[in-house]
Amino acid sequence: MRIRPIAESDLGELQALSRETGVGFTSLPDNREFLAAKIAAAVSAFEERVPADRRNYFFVLEDETSGHLAGCCAIEGEVGRETPFYHYRVGTLAHSSVQLDLHRTIDSLFLCSDHTGDAEVASLFLRPEYRGGDRHHERNGALLSMMRWLFMAEFRDRFPDKVLAEMRGVFDEQGRSPFWHCLGSHFFPLDFSDADRLTGLGQKSFIGELMPKYPIYTPFLSEEARDCIGRVHEQTRPALAMLKKEGLRWEGYIDIFDGGPTVEAYIDDVRSVRLSRRCRAEIDPTASGEADSRPRWLAATTGMAEFRAAWVGRGPDDAGVIRLSPDEATRLEVATGADLRILDTEEEG
Amino acid sequence: MLVVRPAVSTDLPALERLAADAVPQLTNLPAHRDRLEERIARSRQAFAAEVAFPGDEHYTFVLEDPERGEAVGTATIRAQAGARDAYYTYRQETLIHASQQLNVRREVQTLALSHEVSEASLLCAYSLEPRYRGTSAESLLRRARLMFIAQYPERFAGILAMAFPGFLDGAGESPFWNSVGRHFFMRDYQEINALAGIRSKSFIAEVMPQFPLYLPLLTPQARAAIGREHPDHEVALAEMLAEGFLRSRHVDIFDAGPVIKAERERLQSFRRAAWHPVRIRPAHALPDAEPAMVANQRLGDFCCVVARYALSPTGQLMLSPEHAERLGVEEGRAVLAAPLALPGMGEGGVEERDPGYDEGEL
Repeated sequence: MRIRPIAESDLGELQALSRETGVGFTSLPDNREFLAAKIAAAVSAFEERVPADRRNYFFVLEDETSGHLAGCCAIEGEVGRETPFYHYRVGTLAHSSVQLDLHRTIDSLFLCSDHTGDAEVASLFLRPEYRGGDRHHERNGALLSMMRWLFMAEFRDRFPDKVLAEMRGVFDEQGRSPFWHCLGSHFFPLDFSDADRLTGLGQKSFIGELMPKYPIYTPFLSEEARDCIGRVHEQTRPALAMLKKEGLRWEGYIDIFDGGPTVEAYIDDVRSVRLSRRCRAEIDPTASGEADSRPRWLAATTGMAEFRAAWVGRGPDDAGVIRLSPDEATRLEVATGADLRILDTEEEG
Repeated sequence: MLVVRPAVSTDLPALERLAADAVPQLTNLPAHRDRLEERIARSRQAFAAEVAFPGDEHYTFVLEDPERGEAVGTATIRAQAGARDAYYTYRQETLIHASQQLNVRREVQTLALSHEVSEASLLCAYSLEPRYRGTSAESLLRRARLMFIAQYPERFAGILAMAFPGFLDGAGESPFWNSVGRHFFMRDYQEINALAGIRSKSFIAEVMPQFPLYLPLLTPQARAAIGREHPDHEVALAEMLAEGFLRSRHVDIFDAGPVIKAERERLQSFRRAAWHPVRIRPAHALPDAEPAMVANQRLGDFCCVVARYALSPTGQLMLSPEHAERLGVEEGRAVLAAPLALPGMGEGGVEERDPGYDEGEL
């Protein structure tokens, strides 16, 4: 399994993959034209033919033995530059009066675009058959998630100060969002999935046009809706845990549709950005073909258009040399002497 | 013969009783002895002061039943609704949320805190013993204040406003308060209303939500209560609408009761009020005529009664010796009179009419 930039020839596979994503996954609509444009934009981003603040780096996880796509993920160079990027900020207002012997704080939701200009890690999807369990697929999700930090560390000058990740919010058994039901549905003549789909298609101007501009006092929301604020979908918990381990924190920003949390950090503070380091590759035919223990070391190449990332079976030696098996070298498309960025994912940060 | 006159200190026990019996309990007429004593003193000062323009004067009147020798009703004019502090209301506003992309246009209603009514003169703190309800005394007490304002226009604002108690359910609960204010105060409506009466209402308003409220987020019961008067005040509201007041976009911040407003020159009682020299005739010799409010031309000894609008061919108002004496006028002195009946108000009370709507330009 390896990570590489998406290519024009991936369109069919990407569309198949998009059909497997569900409600709440806005960035991969099942729309061939849209996906083709997305690929084209990603290709020009990796080739650095567009300014850094307009780039959407879209990666795929490839099963190089079968040629199938197992998953995908993305990094947005700077959000909110072409279309507005909205959040609710959960703020606290004090309502207090000495004469009334009253002191109460009220949570309020403020519509904002505070994250304009931040980088975003997004669109992570792993096909169910490539998840967990099977030894062969172990830590595929971690590969998709963590290789982005290596990419950002390697191309640090292309990214702004901060990075964020939007986490999927809470939905009930019927797939309804209580937060949307209580708030958004009053202002949008659409159901959640339509609104979500339009957002995914990048047609976000309707949000600014229809969304309430004044702060929302949360006591006016139903209890179910209030419970959604800053809470993630059950299936999103592992992803959130992984990001938290990297140092991303919830600072009170939530999705305006489902109330899910947005976590954020200064890129330089992200654990894997800090801990990853450059090493030199050396191909060693005696190195075992596959790691025989749980994947630990993550390796990424240093070219942008030819970016590759994969698990490798061992870490670098004291001299900063990392030995690769011939299979690993083939997967990463590197020869002896090439630079690699290596991360020990179990190192205490 | 019932008369409306300024409140004096001996009216205190009656005011206490009227405040306690008001339905519902009025924020601006708290049943609190010290506050009522202050109210009378403040009113005495206002009547005695030389005033060139409206300020923080409060003029409190009582309806006196001479047969009982006591006040049986009371009403107040605040020369400026928010003279020292702001007078808070919620203003109903409409925002258009439209998206060309989605081809939709949606009207979203909000309530925004407003101080706009602060400059108006406020007719308030009305309470009448139940047994006088439905009699001409009810209208007299309510509208004698207009006769006073007509005589001393410099003391009042060009725009008059009135806030009616809002809708309460069968249990005496305000659905609006329960959906809005309670979140911020953690106290029930009656409790906060009592507090507001003893302290000032505006400092409580400072704890109210300062950002506009989106109506779709309120409970249906709360939305239904917006601009809806307390059932016991339906007739009073209808009468003032017939006077020429218009419903406004403003509602009370606690219970969402309606606030009505008018340019005073447009009110029936102003437009139809006329000065007449007095001619005194024995009661039995007075011709039959429609009832009118008749007020003397005095400030501190202001007095207004209901009498027949019997005019002589030369335009003199014929009054019985009793009325003349009560008003303190001799033959030849002028009094101000205006018909008690209002167009659109039938004998039975309320007639269906379009009350109009103040679109905010008032």
